[in-house]
Amino acid sequence: MRTQKNADCGLRIADLKSEIANPKSEIKTITVAVAGNPNSGKSTLINAIAGTRLYVGNWPGVTVEKKSALFEYEGTNIKLVDLPGTYSLSPYTQEEIIARDYLVHEKPDVIVNVVDATNLERNLYLTVQLLELGIPVVIALNIYDEAEKKGYKIDTKAMEKILGVEVIPTVATKKMGLDNLLKAITNITNSVSMHRPKKLNYGSDIESSVSIVEKQIQNSYSQLSEKYPLRWLAFKLMERDSHVMEEINIENQSFIEEATRHLKKAHGEDMESIMADARYAVAAGLTREVLKKPEFKKMELTEKIDKIVLNRFLGIPIFLAAMWLVFKLTFDVSAPFGDWIDAMTAGPFRRWAEVILGFAHAPAWTASLATDGIIAGVGFVLVFVPVIFAMMFFITFLEGSGYMARAAFVMDRAMHSMGLHGKSFIPMLLGFGCNVPAVYATRVLENPRDKALTSLLIPLMSCGARLPVYVVFIGAFFTAYVGTVLWSLYVMGIALAVLMGIIFKRTLFKGESPMFIMELPPYRMPSFRSLMIHTWEKGKHFLIKAGTYILAVSILVWFLLNLPWGVEHKKDSYLGKMGQVIAPVLAPLGFGNWEAASSLVSGLIAKEIVVGTMGEIYVQKAADENKETPTLTEDLKEMGTSFAGAVKDSAANLISTFGMASLSSKESTEETKERTPLRDVIKGQFTPLTAYAFITFVLLYMPCIVVAIAMRQEFGTWKWFGIAFAYQMVLAWVVAFVIYQGGRLLGLG
Amino acid sequence: MSPLGLLSRGEQAEIVEIRGPKSCVHESSRHQLCHAEDMGLRVGKMVEMLNNEGRGSLLVKVDESRIAIGRGMAMKIMVKRQ
Ligand SMILES: Nc1nc2c(ncn2[C@@H]2O[C@H](COP(=O)(O)OP(=O)(O)OP(=O)(O)O)[C@@H](O)[C@H]2O)c(=O)[nH]1
Ligand SMILES: [Mg+2]
Repeated sequence: MRTQKNADCGLRIADLKSEIANPKSEIKTITVAVAGNPNSGKSTLINAIAGTRLYVGNWPGVTVEKKSALFEYEGTNIKLVDLPGTYSLSPYTQEEIIARDYLVHEKPDVIVNVVDATNLERNLYLTVQLLELGIPVVIALNIYDEAEKKGYKIDTKAMEKILGVEVIPTVATKKMGLDNLLKAITNITNSVSMHRPKKLNYGSDIESSVSIVEKQIQNSYSQLSEKYPLRWLAFKLMERDSHVMEEINIENQSFIEEATRHLKKAHGEDMESIMADARYAVAAGLTREVLKKPEFKKMELTEKIDKIVLNRFLGIPIFLAAMWLVFKLTFDVSAPFGDWIDAMTAGPFRRWAEVILGFAHAPAWTASLATDGIIAGVGFVLVFVPVIFAMMFFITFLEGSGYMARAAFVMDRAMHSMGLHGKSFIPMLLGFGCNVPAVYATRVLENPRDKALTSLLIPLMSCGARLPVYVVFIGAFFTAYVGTVLWSLYVMGIALAVLMGIIFKRTLFKGESPMFIMELPPYRMPSFRSLMIHTWEKGKHFLIKAGTYILAVSILVWFLLNLPWGVEHKKDSYLGKMGQVIAPVLAPLGFGNWEAASSLVSGLIAKEIVVGTMGEIYVQKAADENKETPTLTEDLKEMGTSFAGAVKDSAANLISTFGMASLSSKESTEETKERTPLRDVIKGQFTPLTAYAFITFVLLYMPCIVVAIAMRQEFGTWKWFGIAFAYQMVLAWVVAFVIYQGGRLLGLG
Repeated sequence: MSPLGLLSRGEQAEIVEIRGPKSCVHESSRHQLCHAEDMGLRVGKMVEMLNNEGRGSLLVKVDESRIAIGRGMAMKIMVKRQ
């Protein structure tokens, strides 16, 4: 009824029909799978089209789970499904299997094949395989900007003619070509597209075999030809694809043998290699026909940078130096803002809460719960929001720049000593942001052994949630060496991970990991906008956490600190008593007081809570010293001016990091640092040595609850979490012991 | 003919043979060399050595991609120097 010439009319009839059949929902939903090589910009493209905030990064293997985004385009609901990148439809890693299974089993209406225009041949090898599926394909010729910059000329019209699919140049990062792409998609689903995927010719030998197998399937197994695309199924049978063979389970396979005998004889190889070569030949031929490269190639920036960054002697020092810079900047830029929030929660917010509760004639204990419990507990965690966001900003930058994959390459040799290879270092590096996505990122690893071992080591990577603890103690004791002390903790985490990896390799995880192979992307400059979006995406979890279970634990801690009802000294409260029981165990580590012990216990939920609890335990006294009560307007004015001061200090710190320090700004930051109450109390309770032992203990002592759940999900058992918990407790104790006792022997105590 | 792993930085060569288990069929035992082929390291391709320090992984350029591969794998890929 619908003809291509009468497209418009056909469209209307179609609409009408669906309205009659389904009067309520006249909008139809089409499913569009987005597939392509790793790092070709699939997730970026979906973000650009649907306004989502899917995880992107400049290394292969960012997306490890299929994710969908729904949006409406010209009266059609489109469900875009983001798939993990894959080099071929014969999958190799776990996330590649996810992509293949989706394409073959879920039968999307359309496949958008994202092709990296700078690397045509390899990308088209996958395209050729996608076309076998018999599902309509649209090619998004992405990263077109970089291809043009290199001087590549791609004849998209010729490509369309040869492949029989529409080819749309796109630049996902600049939102270019999106409209054309969407039109091409809806044209297909409205059956007005002129394009029909071509049956690509794999050479007469193969083609004659395929047609024999196809005929056999149709004759003897007609029910299969309804379930699967015929040509694709014939290929899979010829290749003896184990997955497909299992699924369809046909008894008499001799016809396949028959059909492929002459091929094997002629080429002397197994069928899969023969097929792969045929496909590759098509991709290569196509590339030759449509791509014109400039004659002279200049040395690319990426190669120049790599010469230095991957240098045998400089590689690791450069990595460590980059980390140092990140931590220094993180701290310097964020500290003034943290201090500002600290002053606000300890001052105006506290007073306002008291005033409001006073008006409401609330009983005294509720006022104490609000101020000493919630504001002190949650407030102290909020103080560290700036530092966490700053950290996430730099991690996002590293992810977008392309350096992540280089760090993996540089660390490859160290990873080998623990029976892993460089690829495992990427999930570990991601752990610096948050351990939870890091555990999921282990899917890029080839075998279960590597996955488990890497996941066990990830909690040693210091995550954003541990920063608050470091910042409090570093602020109290090590103001002169902020960056270095912070850096030392992260490096200690990595060093201990290597050490534990070696131990695990000798005990739990005998054997070698499979060989290392990974693509290094070109360096790219992430856009400011995308930096902001993905920094926010990473940081917001910490905010949500502060508003939910850190709030809940703060309230719980307040009760534990004030029960039995009417205790005079916090020491005699339930929490105090619990702390006293545990304290002796910690005494050899230098912090055997009940305050530290009970903070560590509450931190089992999440490590930020350690400072929250300390805030609740210690700070009351300090706040009481605030005698003068300013008016509301005074408060607001002070908030404004001190925030402006924080901005100025932060900028000054940023500049001084790069060696252009001005003395006046340094002094003013010292001043603000002095003001914060928790640090003052801590100065009285710890020494620099015990402080360092304490933060080391916090770094190491266990993975948080959410990591436990992630590990359980990935492995389907609590076993690995149990092992992580046990070894980390022991490790934390031993390392803190060595630091404290060693330090005392050296006379540092 | 020599293994890819013996090229030094800057040298270019053509891949002439990939030694290893021939079968790439079964998913569970799918050999890494098949993965390398999927990534573009296949017979007939020109490669350029970007980084080779005598031990550890090395970095080669094939077409427009830079591929880091372990030494063990690189010793199974035979090349002919240009
Ligand atoms: N110059 C340029 N860069 C792009 C374009 N599209 C994506 N990128 C960059 O390419 C990198 C990879 O993007 P992603 O969207 O994470 O790629 P992906 O295909 O989802 O990758 P995986 O999930 O690992 O398979 C990011 O650094 C993007 O900023 C483009 O059109 N032009
Ligand atoms: Mg992705």
